Amino acid sequence: MKKGLLIFFLFAISITVTAQQNLGKDHSKSNITCKTCHVCDVPTKDDPCLVPCPREKMKTVYESPDKTVDVVSLEELSKKYLPVIFSHRVHAQMSVMSGGCGTCHHYNTSGPIQSCKNCHQTYRNRDDISKPDLEAAYHRQCITCHREWSHGTNCNSCHSPKMDKKGFQKEEAKKKVMGKVHPALIEPDKIVFETKYEKGKMVTFFHDDHTKKFKIECTSCHKNETCLKCHDVNKASIEKSKIVKAQKSLDEHHKKCFSCHKEDKCGSCHLNKSAEPFEHGKKTGWALNKFHVNLSCAKCHGSKMPYTKLDNKCSSCHKAWNNETFKHSITGLGLDETHSQLNCEDCHAENNYTVKPVCSNCHENYSFPKQKPGKLVGRK
Amino acid sequence: MSGKSRRDFLKTSAVIGAGVAGLSTSTVKAAPKNILSEDRMGVLVDSTVCVGCRNCEWACKEAHDLPAGDLQSYEERSVFKDKRRPGTKALTVVNEYSSGKNSNLPVDVKVQCMHCDHPACVSACIVGAFSKEENGSVIWDTDKCIGCRYCMAACPFQVPAFEYDKAINPLIMKCDFCFNRTKEGKLPACVNICPVEALTYGPRTELVKIARERIKRNPEKFVDHIFGEHEVGGTAWMYLSGKDFVELDFPQLGTNPAPGVSESIQHGIFAYFVPPVSLYALLGGIMWITKHRKELDEEEKS
Repeated sequence: MKKGLLIFFLFAISITVTAQQNLGKDHSKSNITCKTCHVCDVPTKDDPCLVPCPREKMKTVYESPDKTVDVVSLEELSKKYLPVIFSHRVHAQMSVMSGGCGTCHHYNTSGPIQSCKNCHQTYRNRDDISKPDLEAAYHRQCITCHREWSHGTNCNSCHSPKMDKKGFQKEEAKKKVMGKVHPALIEPDKIVFETKYEKGKMVTFFHDDHTKKFKIECTSCHKNETCLKCHDVNKASIEKSKIVKAQKSLDEHHKKCFSCHKEDKCGSCHLNKSAEPFEHGKKTGWALNKFHVNLSCAKCHGSKMPYTKLDNKCSSCHKAWNNETFKHSITGLGLDETHSQLNCEDCHAENNYTVKPVCSNCHENYSFPKQKPGKLVGRK
Repeated sequence: MSGKSRRDFLKTSAVIGAGVAGLSTSTVKAAPKNILSEDRMGVLVDSTVCVGCRNCEWACKEAHDLPAGDLQSYEERSVFKDKRRPGTKALTVVNEYSSGKNSNLPVDVKVQCMHCDHPACVSACIVGAFSKEENGSVIWDTDKCIGCRYCMAACPFQVPAFEYDKAINPLIMKCDFCFNRTKEGKLPACVNICPVEALTYGPRTELVKIARERIKRNPEKFVDHIFGEHEVGGTAWMYLSGKDFVELDFPQLGTNPAPGVSESIQHGIFAYFVPPVSLYALLGGIMWITKHRKELDEEEKS
């Protein structure tokens, strides 16, 4: 019995030790199986697919920016200045398009977020000079971006000297910043690129269409933007539609487009004039109704590019619809008891739902709603 | 006359002087009599980190009792319009360059004395006022200095400056690696104030390792070269850059210690006791002539 207990304790201790092991950089070589932490077979840096259990409560670099800490007070080094009230959430939201949380929270493991002072020492005259001290670590993160749009290194844009404000209330200052979210982004309607392609110099990119109509996530194109893309003290406002000279390399420019427009010919984008925006009705002859217009393209066309033409039978997509499951009132016409008994094709001949059935197809030729249609005269 | 052409003039005259003496100016291996300690200190300047705040300029002036003004006034960025050089009023300056690439961020480079391992100024100084200290600093003794400005002509980085505007007791001025601060265990003033730690102070050997590691970890960010690791035999101040060093106005120098050049000239002039021998020969000649005349005079009288 005692022996059994002892073995159990030893076992328990060994588990705790394994769990607390510092896995470090080359943890793939450690003697625990990958599946202890990762769910999938090939975990990547972007998607480490970690086991959910205790991690739900753990703050990692993979947390959604909207759920992160709202305001952080940086005060470890406040000798000369008051604590810096840092609007963490707004910055996290902005980071989505420029490298993500990892831009600041570098060298983070997939485990809990490390605070800067865990690695960076608080004084400069130190033995380990391989990484900057805390002051430099903070400044490098802030100034490197801030000077890009402010074109300066003004201390006072973040710091207030201590002697300026006596009776500084940290909590009050925090409250002022709390709850701030990044304002809605101003998107251009379209951007016309002037290219060097002789046969068609103008490429019109309908930004609005891509984001609103095609429901493409901003981050699928904007991954590593600089702050300057939106922010600049010298920039008055972002123009709604503009002409831009294509300056990037051929590869860089086409890469983003080609991820969807794979088999398009040059001429489908390169024109000699600014192009018309995409309209489903014009281009395909099948205008989208108010329900379809809100769907992402992939919802109907599938994720495979380029999109293929679909047939316009409702039933090719809406396979599960019948007179019981389809809410007819959605079309603007609620079916009464008599009509709801009917089969769909009783009114919609040959399952063609694109043609609106008229009462006179079945009833005496009275026009609704002035007069109720008369008795049933026949069905086509 | 600009500083550079003056230097050129001095250099040319020295070469002509050597030529006149009829002696070769072939490179002589520099033999610094000064200390080159194994654990001498240095500074690694990472120009990819520098933000051009110019706080170092202010701190340097404060530490050297030069008129510094208000720290806030250093936020003014119009000074970057011209490329500045360290001088008697500022022992270090930061210059700004366009990064060239797609980035909108400029490249800022701090300039000051490089504190060579084999300093040409030490070698050129005819009164031995200059010395390479154990901690890596190249400093000079103002009391010994006679203001000959040979150090200025010798320096491959054109750093030492002379107070031309002072009529009485003009001094040679340059970065002294904050010798007075470091001997008390403090950091050099510029290193201490740098908000982003673009300047790292530490043992030179360790700094080289750190620099190599940074390049290795981020090969796209850096040019694969540590300026000062081997230039003119190595310098205490070393630089990392994301842009070609030539474009940042760094001089193109070989790996031979600079004193090789200046010493060969000086040693050439002073070799084989030519000056003392000719001086004594001249004096002896004059003596002989005067003595001969005296004898003739006396003969005539008698």
